[in-house]
Amino acid sequence: MSTSAAEHAQDTGVAARARGLTKAYGTGETTVLALDAVDVDIARGRFTAVMGPSGSGKSTLMHCLAGLDTVSAGQVWLGGTEITGLRDRELTRLRRDRIGFMFQSFNLIPTLNALENITLPMDIAGHRPDEKWLDQVIDTLGLRDRLKHRPAQLSGGQQQRVACARALASRPELIFADEPTGNLDSRAGLEVLGFLREAVDGLGQTVVMVTHDPGAAAHSDLVLFLADGRIVDAMERPTADAVLERMKRFDGIRSTLGGQPDATEHGDTAASHAAERGVAEGD
Amino acid sequence: MLKATLRSFLAHKGRLLLSALAIVLSVAFVAGSLIFSDTVSRTFDRLFASTSADVTVEPKQDLTSAVPTGATQTLPAALAATVAKVDGVAATHIDAATNQVTVVDARNDPVGPTTGAPTIVTNWYVTDRSPVRLTSGHAPHGADQALLDADTADRRHLGIGDVMSVQAQPGTFRVRIVGIATFSTTNPGSALVFLDTPTAQRRLLGSTSRATSISVDAAKGVDDAVLKRRVVAALGGTGYDVKTAGEQAKSAAAQLGTFLDVIKYVMLGFAGIATLVGIFLIVNTFSMLIAQRTRELGLLRALGADRRQVRRSVLTEAVLLGLVGSTLGLAAGIGLAVGLIGLMSAFGMNLSTAEMVIGWGTPVAAYAVGVGVTFVAAYLPARRAAAVSPMAALADAEVAGVGRPLTVRAIVGGLVGAVGAAALAGCAAADRTATSASLLGLGVVLTLVATVIAGPLLVRPVIRVLGGAFPAVFGSVGRMSQRNALRNPRRTGATASALMVGLALVTGMSVASASMSRSFDEQIDKTLGADFVVQNGNFLPFSSEVTGTVRATDGVGLVVRQRFAAVAVRLPDGRRVETTAAGYDDRLDDVAHIKYEAGNTTSALAPGSLAMDAGFAADHGVRIGTVLPVEFQGGRKTSLRVGALTNQDTADGFGTQGGLYFGIATVEKYVPSGQDSALYVNASPGTGADTLRARLDRTLRPYPQVQVRDQADYKQLVHDQIAVLLYLVYALLGLAIVIAVLGVVNTLALSVVERTREIGLLRAIGLGRRQLRRMIRLESVVIAVFGAVLGLALGLVWGVCTQQVLALRGLKALAIPWSTVVAVVIGSAVVGVVAALLPALRASRMNVLAAIAHE
Repeated sequence: MSTSAAEHAQDTGVAARARGLTKAYGTGETTVLALDAVDVDIARGRFTAVMGPSGSGKSTLMHCLAGLDTVSAGQVWLGGTEITGLRDRELTRLRRDRIGFMFQSFNLIPTLNALENITLPMDIAGHRPDEKWLDQVIDTLGLRDRLKHRPAQLSGGQQQRVACARALASRPELIFADEPTGNLDSRAGLEVLGFLREAVDGLGQTVVMVTHDPGAAAHSDLVLFLADGRIVDAMERPTADAVLERMKRFDGIRSTLGGQPDATEHGDTAASHAAERGVAEGD
Repeated sequence: MLKATLRSFLAHKGRLLLSALAIVLSVAFVAGSLIFSDTVSRTFDRLFASTSADVTVEPKQDLTSAVPTGATQTLPAALAATVAKVDGVAATHIDAATNQVTVVDARNDPVGPTTGAPTIVTNWYVTDRSPVRLTSGHAPHGADQALLDADTADRRHLGIGDVMSVQAQPGTFRVRIVGIATFSTTNPGSALVFLDTPTAQRRLLGSTSRATSISVDAAKGVDDAVLKRRVVAALGGTGYDVKTAGEQAKSAAAQLGTFLDVIKYVMLGFAGIATLVGIFLIVNTFSMLIAQRTRELGLLRALGADRRQVRRSVLTEAVLLGLVGSTLGLAAGIGLAVGLIGLMSAFGMNLSTAEMVIGWGTPVAAYAVGVGVTFVAAYLPARRAAAVSPMAALADAEVAGVGRPLTVRAIVGGLVGAVGAAALAGCAAADRTATSASLLGLGVVLTLVATVIAGPLLVRPVIRVLGGAFPAVFGSVGRMSQRNALRNPRRTGATASALMVGLALVTGMSVASASMSRSFDEQIDKTLGADFVVQNGNFLPFSSEVTGTVRATDGVGLVVRQRFAAVAVRLPDGRRVETTAAGYDDRLDDVAHIKYEAGNTTSALAPGSLAMDAGFAADHGVRIGTVLPVEFQGGRKTSLRVGALTNQDTADGFGTQGGLYFGIATVEKYVPSGQDSALYVNASPGTGADTLRARLDRTLRPYPQVQVRDQADYKQLVHDQIAVLLYLVYALLGLAIVIAVLGVVNTLALSVVERTREIGLLRAIGLGRRQLRRMIRLESVVIAVFGAVLGLALGLVWGVCTQQVLALRGLKALAIPWSTVVAVVIGSAVVGVVAALLPALRASRMNVLAAIAHE
């Protein structure tokens, strides 16, 4: 099991860690556990994918690890910093300086051009970007001739590349990508996955990606499978077929259980529909 | 479809809140002013109807003067006996009443009201129409007894036994209060002093053979109109005004009406501003709601709703909003009327809120304004909604893009603006006041419309400049706020327009009034040569005893009296001009500097001569030596020869058309009951101005109504008068700004909702709450300052053009109140900060995850 392997890793080898991470929605009779005492370590310098059926809690896990959401119980560390219990201002600063984000869509501020979007977290912080690093990121992502374009003038794939560049630009400890290919056609999606891979291999970054797409997960070093708020499995050096096979077993469980309430995955219904579609396409 | 409309209305009620508030404000002012004026006029109609005699005989009102002359018109008291013999007359009463008096108490403090309402001294007799009845003491008998009305007695702490001085035209006399009379009807706010009839005639009119009017009681069963005809016949037809009770009540109400009209028009001015500014707010709200609902509307269209149904659905929503706003506004208007009535009571006018009149016209006007305005404002957005294609339901378009190109706006705005600018240029070039003023009005309206239409086109260039420093000063937060303001020029333009309207009006008025002040200053410098001017605080004429007292004061060298008279002049071109002429003492040159085109002060003031403005003379074919028939108030006629033509820059716009003046002897001869309006005083050689002033202040102590002013005081007085106008304008501005702030709040609040995902993203990648608030605040400030800049530019142009019109009336100086301009810019930035408070708070409180997932 890779999680136990990560536990044995040195502290410096862990980018983020959660212990007993629990997230509950609602109270009393109607309580729904989105995350049920999850223990997880995210290894530094690796590309980790988080998979699971809709309602499994994968997005919630990412939100809690990234300091976007509060936890009901348990502890979360980013590097050596415990982030559970931090106040909003400290969390904001943490996200700004130490985490990079990529979302499924609406990743860019429409009023700013590509370059301004890329440097936005540093501009907000009032830091000067590391020019050399920035150039390297821009060239890696092939954005050199798009820097003055507004998001509306870029294709979906180009927009995600800009978002990827923004996530990389401040050289964060951890990059969270939430369904980064969900809104892209397969060619543009492959391109973005390639860049995330390159960010880990070539630039030495740490990436956590939430996805429903076995093909996307196959680009990672390690796939964590979530079901009903628990990490139920992990797969090193995954292939698309192996991931798909593993996911099909969840579908079986799902049909016998009669399905999970949608509410557990908090505002993510579009993604879950897409997830089902994606699985069907994988067939 | 109606169900969908209702649902949508209820779903968006929060977002419609501020629009509703704007409607409530305008409707409240409309309804409040109507209820107030209805209540007041009903009250006074009733008062005058109940207190007017069946038939009244008055001296003929032939000439009236815009400038108070101090003259009291009289008729022979013996007419009462003549009228008494007429068939159908039960009784006649002599009236001897005047308001050309000042009444002071034993400490020389004025007894009359400070509100500008008159002090009336009249003779005491009791009929069933008397507005007062004796409540303590006894009726006045003899030369030193008087009654005082109870409200005034209370206010001035006077009672039976106290002594008052009455300064009337024939002379000052002292009376002792022997009784208190209490109003049994509404007290219109004036102070009443009653004397017995012979005393009133002798002391007020100078002779027991004179009266100011004759009141006639009709015998039972005799109709007023019939009796009036008989009285007219008995009096030989002409020479007197004979009125029935109805006519008398109407003319009394008309006199009061002018004062009440001012209040009414001020209130309607507020309503107008509120409505005008509110329209921008409502247009913006509906435009934004429709932009946000594009997909929903597209779905409706895809499901088979046709364009008309979509349009009707939006308009129905607008009408619902208008109905709710009007209803609340009507209620608020009733509250406002109650407040105004209370305010009037504080000024001594005892109106009762129990008698509040809400005529059928009030709700009609309220709903017409409320619903009408909302409907008109929502019409264009509704058309836009109808134009949404069914494809919009399917497209995953981001909401509220930059929108269609602004070509149509550019063309229409440009055309209207060009016509408006031409009108303003014409106004500046015109040399006749009437032409110039109407061109000014046209130009103001057209340039305002043009700026509103073309406002969105100005957003980019102006905000690029205004917010140009933002990225450098505030980094990416500044950059985003500037770009957000530029994002939808239509919206920014409309929001700023609301602020622009108010500021343009105020700036224009400020420039005009500052120019007036400076022009008057220059005129005072140029023309006033006297050390002091002695004048009544409210410009009313004063008794000749004041003149005597000033003359007798030690150290006074020269006194030149000014006395006005209403005249009618028949000019060689056949025109008969009614105006007010001034009479002066001989040594006018020593107290005033007058430029003559022909003749001089001596030839102007010589017996049988008059002076006239050269321009007026040229217009009407008058030359030096022309003999003009002149008619005075009271019907006295004479011919005066033009002895001098003046070339003054003085204003002739204040009821003194033609700039006529002559020797004071002419006034004394033809208007014997006139009183002096001003005294120009020079110190005798060897007496210092300060010394003389101290002495004059001392000797004039018994006359608290008159004041001694030097040039600086005189300028201050003029400034104060103009300032009153400005205060009104500032009050209008206040209201306009309140609504404009609502507009900015509205725009920002809806923008925040619209940009929820963007805000969520920014927060996710590390924008702090304070930074987010600053971003919204800066956007708000730049929008507000943009509105202020447009308003200032427009207002300055208007002000300069207004000054051009005033220049034709002799007000030649132009002054631009830069301090006001700077204050407006700073103030607008503050407005921006204030307006951003709530929307920024709301944005910063958003849940990051919910915002990211927001559809």
